[in-house]
Amino acid sequence: MAMLRYLLKRLGVGLFTIWFIATATFTVMHLVPGNPLANERGTNATIRANLERQYGLDKPVFEQYLIYMSNMLHGDFGIAFSEENRSVNDIIREHFPVSATLGVLSLCFATVGGVLWGALAALYRNRLPDALIMFLVILGISVPSFVFAAFSQLFILKLNQWSGRSILPVAGWEGVSSMLMPALVLGLSTMAYMTRLMRSSMLDVANTDYLRTARAKGLSPTRIFFRHQLRNAILPVITVLGPAIAIITTGGFVVESVFAIPGLGRYFVQAVAQLDYTVIMGTTVFFGAFLVLMVIAVDILYGFIDPRIRLGAV
Amino acid sequence: MNSTQYVLEVDNLAVEFDTYGGVVQAVRDVSFKLRKGKTLAIVGESGCGKSVTVQSLMGLIPMPPGRITRGSARLGGDELLHIAPAALNAIRGKRIGMIFQDPMSALNPTMSIGAQIAETLVVHRGMTASAARTEVLELLHLTQIPEPEQRLNQYPFECSGGMLQRAMIAMSIACKPEVLIADEPTTALDVTIQAQILLLLKQLQQSHGLSIILITHDLGVVAHMAHDVAVMYAGQVVESAPVDDLFYRPAHPYTLGLRAALPGNDPQKQRLQIIPGSPPDLFAPPPACAFADRCPHTMRLCRSAAPATYTRPPPPASQASTNSAHEARCWLHHPQAPSSPVRSSAAT
Repeated sequence: MAMLRYLLKRLGVGLFTIWFIATATFTVMHLVPGNPLANERGTNATIRANLERQYGLDKPVFEQYLIYMSNMLHGDFGIAFSEENRSVNDIIREHFPVSATLGVLSLCFATVGGVLWGALAALYRNRLPDALIMFLVILGISVPSFVFAAFSQLFILKLNQWSGRSILPVAGWEGVSSMLMPALVLGLSTMAYMTRLMRSSMLDVANTDYLRTARAKGLSPTRIFFRHQLRNAILPVITVLGPAIAIITTGGFVVESVFAIPGLGRYFVQAVAQLDYTVIMGTTVFFGAFLVLMVIAVDILYGFIDPRIRLGAV
Repeated sequence: MNSTQYVLEVDNLAVEFDTYGGVVQAVRDVSFKLRKGKTLAIVGESGCGKSVTVQSLMGLIPMPPGRITRGSARLGGDELLHIAPAALNAIRGKRIGMIFQDPMSALNPTMSIGAQIAETLVVHRGMTASAARTEVLELLHLTQIPEPEQRLNQYPFECSGGMLQRAMIAMSIACKPEVLIADEPTTALDVTIQAQILLLLKQLQQSHGLSIILITHDLGVVAHMAHDVAVMYAGQVVESAPVDDLFYRPAHPYTLGLRAALPGNDPQKQRLQIIPGSPPDLFAPPPACAFADRCPHTMRLCRSAAPATYTRPPPPASQASTNSAHEARCWLHHPQAPSSPVRSSAAT
């Protein structure tokens, strides 16, 4: 019951967040001089005025806002300005699954890799494997993803040349094999961050009284590791899943463009350049809503792992 | 005295730790014997090595930086020190149980209390989780925890310190161990709970024939619980005695000082008596008697040679054959030493 109330509260706050994102985006967008039709060359003033009336751009901004919000509440993001006869809903429906697949895959890479490498580094603390992993972590955190993207493409190319056949595609979005490398590159910095977090968290837990109790009970090292240390050490890693999703989603735009992946990121960036009102609003609000939902999902997941959260102690 | 009376014997244990400041000699030559079905209290101030002593028996000191440099410990004839990890794991939790100072932090926060107690049974007695459940419930009943059925599925944060210490006790006696080590089990609890926990330990000792090592710095607890006492100072046992002998005929100036520092019932006495000075630096412990700098009876010999261990004759009225020996590591018991309060045979 407490859980349900908590969930409803979170959803309410989430709705408010989405409203705020929409309003802020709308305001900033209209503060930028010009409009989607301002660039059209060879159209005279009458044609432009007609077009503006057609799209409702001649109305006062606040009225436009109300109209947009009411449409959005009905699930209608409007018609794209810069595409031929396509609604923003269609664009999202078509391209978001690609971005989401990429994002989820790289989040999996990041989390599994981070937990694994971090645990390994903690296990070999102050020895060679630890030093090696921590060196790679610094690399992963400080090198931007587009550099990794370019290098990974070069690597795939050389690999294919050397083997004489196409082991992995260099770019594009067809089949699982084409998803692996972009997802890995996209998740790399998050993985590095999580590795570091996991390592220190493992070491913290190793020094706790309850781990000493576990040893005093005569449990085997494997059992202590999996049943006592790992589960407690993973908690801080889960707390950063929320921000990690945000980083991976926004980072996806760069990786998508380097690997020529038909995701939503391209539209997100292009729309801003072209001041395509409806696409900007649609993609921003949609991504915002997605993030809000994911953060709530992470909170629920956290409750599953930590009884103190689930049972409302903190 | 027959050696089978002893369930645990520790001889000449020495433990060191590497630190950035050098090597700390935390335990220097500790020996004691634990009588079957009795309670041995190890007392001493913070940093005297009492916790390190018992933790090294259980293989709980981190190595490195810790190191057991000398000594042996035998549980019913089986060596405990320097044995293979698997052999050690077959002993701890099964033949030696241990409870700790702060029950709030000694239990895994993400595991239910029932599961944590059951784990011992599953690992050491090969029980299935469901079979362990009924046994756990019985154990919880035994520790007189309120509403044991409810506790099974609760997590540590949902219980009070007293309940958690009872759960810890249930966990430590689950496999009917020969020895229970209680490392300051009541320090983190308030006074009424402290009394209940001590009473519980006493009852369990009687019903299960438990032999208990009780670490404490509370002489009141010692008087209430212990049969034998070992007083530790600067990593050494300076005096060991049956509890009555220790309180009525202390044989070491440090014990005498501790006893004098106890708050009494005398309303005239305004200030507590103290032992002046502070314990020696264990990076470089004094070569002779560690207590010499604080002792009111120091002789020249005390600073030049490590004191021998002297056995005091039992008082004429006691049943000498059933009691432990009364030993003190102090030159004042040398036949040629001047008379001092620690040598007078009458009860002080």
